Amino acid sequence: MNLTEQEKRMLGGEFGEPVARALDYLIQFGDAFGADRFVDVVYAHYPAEMSIYRGNVEDVVEYAETGAMVCIPTTTSTLACDLDRWKEHGCPQPIYDLQAAVVPAHRKMGILGTYTCTPQWLGFVPPKGSYIISVESSAIIYFNSVLGARTNRGGLFTRYAAVTGKYPLMGYLLDENRAGTHLFRVKLGPQDLLHDSDFSALGFHVGALVGSEVPVFDTLGTATQDNLVALGAALATSGSVTLFHAPGHTAESDSVEEAFQGRQPKETHNVTPADIRSVYEMLTTIDPGGAIDFVTLGCPHYTLEQLRYVAHWLREHDAKVHPNVRFWICTNRTTRQAATWEGIVQTIEQAGGHVVCDTCPVECHMRKSTCKEFGLPVPQVQAMVTDSCKMARYVGDLIGCKTALCPKDDCLKAAVAGELS
Amino acid sequence: MSDHKVKARGMVKGRVSGPALVCRKAFSFLGDVDMDTGEIIAQGHEHEGETIAGKVMIYPETKGSSGGCVVLSVLAKQGKQPVAIVLEKPADTNIVEGAIVCGVTLVSEPEGDLIHSVPNGAMVTVDGAAGEVMWSDA
Repeated sequence: MNLTEQEKRMLGGEFGEPVARALDYLIQFGDAFGADRFVDVVYAHYPAEMSIYRGNVEDVVEYAETGAMVCIPTTTSTLACDLDRWKEHGCPQPIYDLQAAVVPAHRKMGILGTYTCTPQWLGFVPPKGSYIISVESSAIIYFNSVLGARTNRGGLFTRYAAVTGKYPLMGYLLDENRAGTHLFRVKLGPQDLLHDSDFSALGFHVGALVGSEVPVFDTLGTATQDNLVALGAALATSGSVTLFHAPGHTAESDSVEEAFQGRQPKETHNVTPADIRSVYEMLTTIDPGGAIDFVTLGCPHYTLEQLRYVAHWLREHDAKVHPNVRFWICTNRTTRQAATWEGIVQTIEQAGGHVVCDTCPVECHMRKSTCKEFGLPVPQVQAMVTDSCKMARYVGDLIGCKTALCPKDDCLKAAVAGELS
Repeated sequence: MSDHKVKARGMVKGRVSGPALVCRKAFSFLGDVDMDTGEIIAQGHEHEGETIAGKVMIYPETKGSSGGCVVLSVLAKQGKQPVAIVLEKPADTNIVEGAIVCGVTLVSEPEGDLIHSVPNGAMVTVDGAAGEVMWSDA
């Protein structure tokens, strides 16, 4: 790594010990990947330390004591409980108590307590071509693809990038690594790509085929912003896709040829309705008519419009959630406040649902290993219905229940009926 | 003496040995492994129920959510991390960050099909600085 005069002074300790140490880690990191210099990053989405990971909260409390401060706008990803409504969701007190300790540590470091997997809905929309660093695979793929900002898959070193404002120039920050590799000809009609869950299934199918490479879709029909979030989250679940192109929907290329930067696709695939159906079948292990006890919407965290849709459906159907069913709709705190002003939250709550912030089922006390860690009884979940492939995939292992992938309306019907139709 | 030596791309330094855990499919630290025990919990995984602790993991690539590096660091705090990771494909940044912080030696892109030539359980030595993977016939 070649360092600028400023970076040499940072490494020499002129800006404090935390900055020097952070830069040293980043140099090792850049050297591993053969980067020759740093770039300035303008935004960080930071992995909030979670009480479900042993030692994770203590780590940031200790780190904040070193006097380390972030030097760029920094938002935070999800926690292990809703900091306001944790009691309503059955979160045990010790999990909340430990988790709440991150808030003063983050504030001390200048980090914003957004605690969401969709910071873009809070106004963090970095410009096309800007360098950023983000965690949360569904946010990363949205920033890279839909917005055209440039980030690698952030991890532990997001902290050090936020403290220094530096990241090695490598990976998805470089033009040549942003070229498409696999072409997908989407042979789906408007009826096959209607729901967020259809886009999620499309992403899950393609992610499994491309692994960590860069898929290009020749069309995505009339995809909305919510559809694109669903697609990206699933691409990053069945594979580790970090960037996709869909000319007309994503920021970087106006044509398929441009998305490939003049190269030939390594592989070309047709996507057919049978491919989409097979994802629904694979992620549905609950038998038709089988009892269900959990419905989750909001993976990734729902937008105001998605919440509005749910409230509207519940009102239209004069619906009440079945007494055996936990019905969670996950979002961020700002959106819940806006939805409260709209009367949306009240409608959902009166029907028996919960609008959950800061967390989600697989990151909170519902995860099998969490309560085990705290020596608490593990909550029993038999069968979860969701509109997200990401949720369905992780629930299977982390909560250990049966799952069903359904469009939103069918999730809502299941929440009311207490069984899968 | 090792019977086999294969060059690879050295990513995270260290020279360590351990029994090989050879996985034919992509591996996810979030979901595939119990972060308390290091045991593989993914249903239907070829090594379901085995531990990754102390192993030289050989697998094609890391998949899944970026929360995976946190799981690796949790494993490391309890001494349940693998001693080395050998990736068939280029390493993603996430796993390298985790490996630097956790002291897990890491190499990638070996010049040979290790997944089909290293027997599961064979004693393997990985040199992250030199970029070498060595093992002996049983």
